[in-house]
Amino acid sequence: MRRVVSFLARRRGHGGRWHWTDAVTWLWLVGGTVLMFGPALWLVASSFKGPAQLAEFPPTLLPYEQIVVQVEGHDAPLPLYEVAGPHGTTRQLAEIRRIGTNAQMVDPTDPDTRLNVDIAARTPIREIGLALDNYVQPLVANDFLRFLWNSVFVTVMATLITLLTNSMAAFALSKYRFRGRDAVMLLIVATLMVPLSVILVPLYSVVNATGLLDSLWGVILPTVATPTGVFLLRQYMLTIPDELLEAARMDHASEWQIYWRIVLPLAAPALAVLAIFSVVWRWNDFLWPLIVLSRRETYTLQVGLNTYAGELNVQWHYILAMTVVTMIPVVLVFVFLQRFITTGIAGAGIK
Amino acid sequence: MGRITLNDIRKRFGTTEVIHGVDLEVGEGELVVFVGPSGCGKSTLLRLIAGLDQPTSGTIEIDGRDVTRVSAADRGLAMVFQSYALYPHMTVQQNLSFGLQNTKMARDEVGRRVSEAARMLEIEPLLERRPTQLSGGQRQRVAIGRAIVREPAAFLLDEPLSNLDAELRVTMRAELAQLHDRLTTTMIYVTHDQVEAMTLADRIVVLRHGRIEQVATPLDLFNRPANLFVAGFIGAPNMNLFTATAQDGQAALPGGLAVPVPRNGPCTIGIRPQHLHPAEADASALEGRVTLVEALGTETVVHFRTADGTDVITVMAGQPGIRLGDTIRLAPDPGQIHLFDADGDRMDNNV
Repeated sequence: MRRVVSFLARRRGHGGRWHWTDAVTWLWLVGGTVLMFGPALWLVASSFKGPAQLAEFPPTLLPYEQIVVQVEGHDAPLPLYEVAGPHGTTRQLAEIRRIGTNAQMVDPTDPDTRLNVDIAARTPIREIGLALDNYVQPLVANDFLRFLWNSVFVTVMATLITLLTNSMAAFALSKYRFRGRDAVMLLIVATLMVPLSVILVPLYSVVNATGLLDSLWGVILPTVATPTGVFLLRQYMLTIPDELLEAARMDHASEWQIYWRIVLPLAAPALAVLAIFSVVWRWNDFLWPLIVLSRRETYTLQVGLNTYAGELNVQWHYILAMTVVTMIPVVLVFVFLQRFITTGIAGAGIK
Repeated sequence: MGRITLNDIRKRFGTTEVIHGVDLEVGEGELVVFVGPSGCGKSTLLRLIAGLDQPTSGTIEIDGRDVTRVSAADRGLAMVFQSYALYPHMTVQQNLSFGLQNTKMARDEVGRRVSEAARMLEIEPLLERRPTQLSGGQRQRVAIGRAIVREPAAFLLDEPLSNLDAELRVTMRAELAQLHDRLTTTMIYVTHDQVEAMTLADRIVVLRHGRIEQVATPLDLFNRPANLFVAGFIGAPNMNLFTATAQDGQAALPGGLAVPVPRNGPCTIGIRPQHLHPAEADASALEGRVTLVEALGTETVVHFRTADGTDVITVMAGQPGIRLGDTIRLAPDPGQIHLFDADGDRMDNNV
């Protein structure tokens, strides 16, 4: 603990004094943390707020719940308010209904007398509480478990196929010499410049003609051949010495065995990077699944989220809660595989 | 087993021909060393024999069978690469058995061969380690072990000792010689180090610019170099070469020393530094001023410059006490003079 404190209190200035760079460093790091982490934290906190609280201004940081009491003579529980009395005293009253700027209230201990109170004179009594219903309702009643499964299926299958096909292409492009190899590579890299929106219509026709419309494979298959992946893996495989392949060839290994048993294991760092990228891409895909999938049973999470944003009514509390659910796998991937990302990208780019 | 014959091998990369018609016969159980400066084509020639590259024309025979178009794995040869090319993701055990498993060999036979090779090379304690956990010398042994388990018709070694430090190189050189004595398998060994070539070889093949300059036993090469290139390449320090013009069967060295020459015309006279001795006081001699003294203890290398500006090197036994600026007079040992004609080919002066 003392070491942590002394680490944090370290200064660049002479004799442990503040140097201007210390101030800038602190400002930069704290500011950066707030900027990066703030919105995510805000999202998580807001996902536990009820719809009324989300619409409130000014917004509150933490989720609160209105305290309600059961009052004799009323079927539904009534919200509890603190009302300021005439002589600086306060009372806790339950609200029956609002009429204009006045509220009709009742003392829970004396349910028969009704009181008229100016709404400016009362404040709601709330405690910190989680609106878990935001999560339960979509997952149980609104098919979100189904969407979750669809998303997982698309992500896992697309990533596996991406890794397999891209690494095979990269192997051929990095380890075999054939006429037109550089041209093929150039062509593949050139497709990086064509965005999805440009090829959306022809791609739709292709998927339609192959009968993949409205099925998860229609989402998976068009996305598996990624130029980024081929390029990344090829650059990495170029660093695998040819002598290893020649040694394997002398060791009676077939070309498939060379690929499967020598090149793939050695390209693991680059494969990990591509796997991470692919998971994040496929998980976050919205436009393409939205176009391909039209039956509710085939929706992925991202498309499912869209159903809460109606033309007249946006159900923010559900959107926020399901956004958190959507975020969790991506966050987990980054938390556990972070070191692969940095080493892999550095390795693939520079070596 | 293990007779290798090369017939008029040529190899072209694009438009440049790097091997210009090589004929060579390697006998059974022979240890042949390819030696030459870098870029002379010695590694290319070895790769052609191994089957890793295809010759542009010419044939390669192993034990009388034409293997020119046979794949590397099916030639029955084993290669040790300069970088060892051990599979980094496999243990030593797996490295040794990979090639045997690929031939669908019975499990106990694989085990027997691996343990025998491990015993022979004293790498038994290392079998469970990975190549990155081994020292340079240990990796070298594993690389040789991977060749041994194949029980090949011939071993091909591509500069196997060049990645080791000087001390280890001497030890491994001796071990390689012992290994060859024990296995009595044909070996072709590529190196640019003439000491390795001289100590290991039964016969040395000197290559330059893709052509064989001379094939001979180490001592023949030293005693009777076939041309100027071999004369200059073999032996340390380098042979002293003097250009002269022969008239009336005599050519003159700087300082007026006459050497009998069989043919008239321009020629080159070669004298090894070891074959110069102090001249008689009144006889004509190579005379010069000492410009550099390299005292090595057991011998002393003396550089001197004659009156007409020719630099000459001599090696004297022991520590003769010669200092910079001294004048020395030397004469060549009779019968140790090499004569080369205008084309650089050897002329025999014992006529």
